[in-house]
Amino acid sequence: MQLQYSTLTAALLTAGTLASPILANANDASELEELRSLVQALDQKVKVLSRKEEISTETLTTDKKISPLVKADSNGFSLISADGRNEIKFRGLVQADHRHFSDGANDVRNRSRGRAGLLDGDGFNHADDSSLLRRVRPTIEGRVAGIYGFRFTPEFGGGSASVVDAYVDVNLNPTFNVRAGKFKSFVGLERLQGGGDIKFIERSYVTNAILPNRDLGIALYGDVLDKKLNYAVAIVNGVADGGNISTGTEYNGEREYTARLFTTPFKNTDSALAGLGFGIGGTYTNFTGEQNLNFTDTTAADATRNGLPSYVTDGQQTFFRYGANTIADGNRTRISPQASYYYGAFGMIAEYARVNQDVSLIGNSAGTTTNNALPFLSGTKRTLSHDAWELAGTYLLTGEDASFKGVKPKNDFDIDKGSWGAWEIVARYSEINLDSDTFKNRLGNLAGENLSTNTSNSAFADASKSAKSAKTWTAGINWYLNANAKVALNYSHTAFEGGAISGNGQNGAAGDVGRQVKNRANEDAILARLQLVF
Amino acid sequence: MKKSLLPIVIVAALLGMTANNIALAKDIEILNVSYDPTRELYTEFNAAFAKYWKTKTGDTVTIKQSHGGSGKQARAVIDGLPADVVTLALAYDIDAIHEKAKLIPKDWQKHLANNSSPYTSTIVLLVRKGNPKKIKDWNDLTKPGLSVITPNPKTSGGARWNYLAAWAYGLKHNNNDQDKAKLFVKKIFDNVPILDSGARGSTTTFVERGIGDVLISWENEAFLALKELGPDKFEIIVPTLSILAEPPVTIIDKTVDKHKTRNVAQAYLDYLYSEEGQEIAAKNYYRPTLASVAAKYEKQFPKINLIIIDDVFGGWQKAQKTHFSDGGTFDQIYQK
Repeated sequence: MQLQYSTLTAALLTAGTLASPILANANDASELEELRSLVQALDQKVKVLSRKEEISTETLTTDKKISPLVKADSNGFSLISADGRNEIKFRGLVQADHRHFSDGANDVRNRSRGRAGLLDGDGFNHADDSSLLRRVRPTIEGRVAGIYGFRFTPEFGGGSASVVDAYVDVNLNPTFNVRAGKFKSFVGLERLQGGGDIKFIERSYVTNAILPNRDLGIALYGDVLDKKLNYAVAIVNGVADGGNISTGTEYNGEREYTARLFTTPFKNTDSALAGLGFGIGGTYTNFTGEQNLNFTDTTAADATRNGLPSYVTDGQQTFFRYGANTIADGNRTRISPQASYYYGAFGMIAEYARVNQDVSLIGNSAGTTTNNALPFLSGTKRTLSHDAWELAGTYLLTGEDASFKGVKPKNDFDIDKGSWGAWEIVARYSEINLDSDTFKNRLGNLAGENLSTNTSNSAFADASKSAKSAKTWTAGINWYLNANAKVALNYSHTAFEGGAISGNGQNGAAGDVGRQVKNRANEDAILARLQLVF
Repeated sequence: MKKSLLPIVIVAALLGMTANNIALAKDIEILNVSYDPTRELYTEFNAAFAKYWKTKTGDTVTIKQSHGGSGKQARAVIDGLPADVVTLALAYDIDAIHEKAKLIPKDWQKHLANNSSPYTSTIVLLVRKGNPKKIKDWNDLTKPGLSVITPNPKTSGGARWNYLAAWAYGLKHNNNDQDKAKLFVKKIFDNVPILDSGARGSTTTFVERGIGDVLISWENEAFLALKELGPDKFEIIVPTLSILAEPPVTIIDKTVDKHKTRNVAQAYLDYLYSEEGQEIAAKNYYRPTLASVAAKYEKQFPKINLIIIDDVFGGWQKAQKTHFSDGGTFDQIYQK
């Protein structure tokens, strides 16, 4: 526009110049004066137009300073006040999965032949291939008045609706923040990685089996020492291993206390250790689970009402569940040293977790277990120690830097441009080992309903159905089409110790003599995922 | 015994007081939200006040300034701009801060002398050197083909003073006939090719961009243009009638209480009334209200027949509603 005005002015002046000889020849001073006036008037008009544009630009700039900012980019959609103190973001995570099992059992539930259908050689129903929506999580998050943050994330995946996160943050300063509501427990490293950022389709046993998932309570957290040390302490209701508290109901008045320290001592240096972080997290509570429950055919979440977990494989098939007469009864402590390392395209997470859980069997004095007889059978209170660990490595083949968070490809997938996004290979070994006492009755013998010699003396878990350990190798590849879309493919092989029984007539054929616990069949699964996150 | 201890007690007390002053000296920051042409005034005044306050209290005070059209500035404060003090062009804009945000009491204008106006000004005409369009008074601004520069009364306090001064002239020369006064002002605004949002913007339009034949201007702004650019480029035309402009000031009570800056903010405004504050105002071509300083600078300011807004327009509330609210006379006469 400025150029147009200049051009117009030049044209006008040129016109005046060209016209001047004619006027001179005409020797008409009044006409010359008229023309001069005309040029001046036009010059004023040009200046006015130019100034109006200038004012318009100034107004626009000023308005920008006070107008809310609307953002729509790969990080989601947001509205931000001009001063940045108020913001609301709309985000989302959708994961469409497919699971294929070439080998593996579906669970350890107490199903009859008739209900389970065709059974495998160990008496379990074969794990079924399935397509599912693993996570469907719209999120509304933001802050008001500068320091008050909030996040609300419902979950529509998994066949039911629930609240994943619902909390309020008070961000007083980077060193001291308060969070209250339902939120991720500040304990495990891999758990704190976002559901859309995890490098494997499912998290390891450390995270899924031992450490808490989400809980209700209040936490203090922050970064200190030049943001090289992160701390968090919390008081929460307490959930079973891997548990995700489903409602605000508390079954026991006891609180669970959690704490975590994580340091990145070489952060922001040029050292090769700049991407190294390590720390330790832990929990403590004294907790008694709810009694009189019948866990047959209940979901895993319901089952946690006894204060005890069930454990699943990479393919999300349950391989361990406490017996129906077992409840949490006393202290539960967890400890988890953890480390991560990122260097260039390489990333690594190493994490260990141990849980010491006091449990009891409920039963009557005659020694037969029931669901409601008290007191506990003598000798059936134990402290069980289970542990799990993982070592996971990732490598970005396309040269992007690995990080704890998601991957933003150097070049987004675009067939026309011949760019293929980012490609990452991943591998992980993870295993979980359960305390041997878990499967022993009060006499110290392996026990289970299919072990005929022990039918009147149940253990905390049935050795003929629940495995004592699971060891899983997972390898996979992630294809990041762009910052929002990802395709992931994992192959997972799991070997078990125990969890099945030799001989015929399993599941309901109690009384057969001489059968022995054996390893249940390996699980070989191919897991695939298409993910969209924004 | 008492006698022998007394000097020690006194010395100790003095030392304690000194130490206390040193220990408690602090850095303070306040924000003055002002109107467009006061940049130079408050730059000089702020430096003087900071020095005064340092000497008096030991504290270091930093005064941040924000300038813009008076109406826009009031709106910004209402919307949350954390002003400790406002020094705006007219009382109506500060009234709005009470009415719409309740940040100040209704009687804010009674808290300082002279209706909280430490200095006054008026409206004059600035023309190009030699006055080529022969402009002598307000009626010359209605001549067809003349280009008049004035800011937008919707956003600028100065523009509202301009508008009312012209209206008062129209009334006086038309036997107080409001319709004829309206027609008179309409003819002036028919000659206005462009409306800036503030007085400083209009000065830029006229002085720096070379647009227009005459600028309706704050007196202080006109003097400043002469000072900055030289009397060889512009002339001030003093009309036969103008308006007494009383730019008021006040602390924003809720903000100073929140910031814990009430004392310094109050002292800042009080200092405007002091001899030094009045000197600085006069040097920046604002008419001082302190008699001694006014007398000293008497020759600097031309004598003009100044009407009072309360007398002619019934006060700012009424003037605002009649002329500048949506659908008011300004909206009726200015359709560009």
